[in-house]
Amino acid sequence: MAAHGRGQRTLSFTMETVKGDAPPPSVQQPTPVFPVMEQKPLPLTGGEEAEYLLALKQDFRGAMRSLPCFIQPLVTNRDVERYSDKYNRSEQMDKLLDWAPDWKRFPRELRVHVRKPARDSVSAAVQSPPPPQMKKKGVKDKEEVLLKLESLEKKEEQETSEDEEGETKKKQEEEEAEGEEEYDEEEFEEETDYIMSYFDNGEDFGGDSDDNMDEAIY
Amino acid sequence: MTAQEVRLCGLLLQEHFGEVVEKVGTHLLKSGAQNLRTIIHETGLSVDLVKKSLCVLVQHGATTFSSGRKGLGSPTEYHTSCDRILRILRYPRYIYTAKTLYGDTGELIIEELLQRGHTTMSSTVKTVADRLTQNMAEGRTMDYTEVSSTFSKLVETHFLQRCPPLPGVGNKDSSAPIETPATPGTPAAPVNTAPPTPESFPECYKVPSVTLIGRGKRQLASEDGEEQRSAKRAKMDPETHGDEGIYWQVNFERFHLHFRDQTIISAVANKLDQTSSEIVRTMLRMSEVTTSPMATCTKPLSANEIFRSLPPSYNILRPILDQYLTLLVDDPMEFVGKAGESGGGMFVVNLHRALANLARATLESVVQERFGSRSARIFRLLLRKRHLEQKQVEDFAMIPAKEAKDMLYTLLSQNLVQLQEIPKTPDYAPSRTFYLYTVNQLPTARMLLQNCYKTVANLIERRLFETKESKRLLEKSQRIEAILASLQASGAEPEQLTEVEEMITAPEKQQLDTLRLHINKLDSAENQVDETIFLLESYINSTNASS
Repeated sequence: MAAHGRGQRTLSFTMETVKGDAPPPSVQQPTPVFPVMEQKPLPLTGGEEAEYLLALKQDFRGAMRSLPCFIQPLVTNRDVERYSDKYNRSEQMDKLLDWAPDWKRFPRELRVHVRKPARDSVSAAVQSPPPPQMKKKGVKDKEEVLLKLESLEKKEEQETSEDEEGETKKKQEEEEAEGEEEYDEEEFEEETDYIMSYFDNGEDFGGDSDDNMDEAIY
Repeated sequence: MTAQEVRLCGLLLQEHFGEVVEKVGTHLLKSGAQNLRTIIHETGLSVDLVKKSLCVLVQHGATTFSSGRKGLGSPTEYHTSCDRILRILRYPRYIYTAKTLYGDTGELIIEELLQRGHTTMSSTVKTVADRLTQNMAEGRTMDYTEVSSTFSKLVETHFLQRCPPLPGVGNKDSSAPIETPATPGTPAAPVNTAPPTPESFPECYKVPSVTLIGRGKRQLASEDGEEQRSAKRAKMDPETHGDEGIYWQVNFERFHLHFRDQTIISAVANKLDQTSSEIVRTMLRMSEVTTSPMATCTKPLSANEIFRSLPPSYNILRPILDQYLTLLVDDPMEFVGKAGESGGGMFVVNLHRALANLARATLESVVQERFGSRSARIFRLLLRKRHLEQKQVEDFAMIPAKEAKDMLYTLLSQNLVQLQEIPKTPDYAPSRTFYLYTVNQLPTARMLLQNCYKTVANLIERRLFETKESKRLLEKSQRIEAILASLQASGAEPEQLTEVEEMITAPEKQQLDTLRLHINKLDSAENQVDETIFLLESYINSTNASS
């Protein structure tokens, strides 16, 4: 369009100076976001067909949400750990497993092996970091063991892996907890809260004089 | 791939496939063809998610992959185009058309195929039979053969087509893809670069011989868990039906031809009368198989043939038919043209001319609704007379000078009208130059089409906003509905039901009703704008083909 850039007020200004009429006022700011409309728009066409189309559209949208091709990333905002998380996670995994396209029609690089929870390769990857941690724990003090347990729990919450991994971790934690309990019991026997020197075996009982009754006996 | 189209495609992908697919899809749309590594790097998503999204996009035909540009060794590149994603807006219309033509079975077949993208015939037939069985009365089931026959009918009339086999993967028998005239605009392109259309393969519309014997299964509510488990086992069960590897997809072009015919027929019915529209419908029906999709007009039909093929309910006399045909030919909309005198007169339906005139009517009505009938008069004048000076516009439109000037400037600022300068002297001195106002139909149509895309995107965004605002309320109402449903299923007393219903207070109910009303309005508005989009797109594509 030859006059594309000139379709603004400036050109008509030029034209009007020639013709001798006053130019229309030029607008110096962007147009309002919701301009006032001089003509009201027509109402929508109603009718049976339009309603049926509307229902079809909404049904289709709803149906697409439940299909396996509706991908949503596993949301990992764990401000508070909820009981329902355990069930929600398994539901999502089922959906992903449902869809098995014909891999011959896709390039090989797109092949995603969705692993079932009890696959070795995944849990093997998880198991390699914990064992060195366990060894370290045997050496450190009780308080640091507690701290490590807490951090492990947090890590477990943040991980987006399948349930089984969490369970294997829980098993490992249980083992560690058991180890700690044993440790506690041993300590218990050695360091009790009761100071042995205070123990009376009853020999001196009654031997103390009851002479000074002024002292209050608490 | 304009910004508006990309925005709309993003919203459609988000609503139907989730945010991850939306991210990958918009990235591909904006940056053209890319390989997997680049996509992963630039979107910042995890490898698994990107792979899954690409699988979903390829499955639904939105993305195609090909070997890289640098030769055989380079990684595969993925290319997404807007057109296929924008079709999602038209899905309800496709499903409804299938329902009118082939009943509920056809409707469900098309719906299944639209939901899954590419599927085999056997899996579609089974799923559709199950769904139909669920809706039928107790004790009755749907037979697979009935569904298969509807499927075959859909294929015969070209509404469904086979997915083209992959290049290089397919069998060596099918010859290298032939450049059919159906691919628009690339007559001399080398064979490698242009993707083969599904129609370039000879077996595109051949129904495979499938052994499908059985009836639909009704899913009982009590055995839900078991059914699901057995269904899963059935999926892993390698049940072959003789059509492995043959995937079907919906042929959108055929549906578009059908819509175009419907539009022409209803336009004739609105402008003239019912009988003329029946005549045009007969002519179009007769030329369905003989006309190629990009043809300018149908093959000439003689008046005798038309007379014989009219539906029996319309027993009009032969001279009356001739009169009607003369009327149609003389009509300024030029739907029907005369191509000769043999056989009582040879008549054609001018498809491209009809589309151009319908698009013109759309533009005129847009101007009328936005600026008033007098501006519309000026617009129509400029469309017919091409170039006019300001003085001439005032005279022809019979509008006083001041108002005509204002209206012209408004139209000019909206870019609906353009200014053409014709200088008398080599220096473009304003006093010695003609300034002519003009309207160009094709660029204006393109601009309006982009406006339509923007409109639909705005409608979707508003709907998402409204839903998000009342998210808490919607969740509450959904939970209460679930509770009610479970109570009713387990047979509760009416008092319990009313007690649960009262958990939603009256103002909340009102709020929900208003929300529902708004969302319905926005949705039907999207459907309506899509009709305009279809018309403008068809017009623009028809000019592409003929140029």
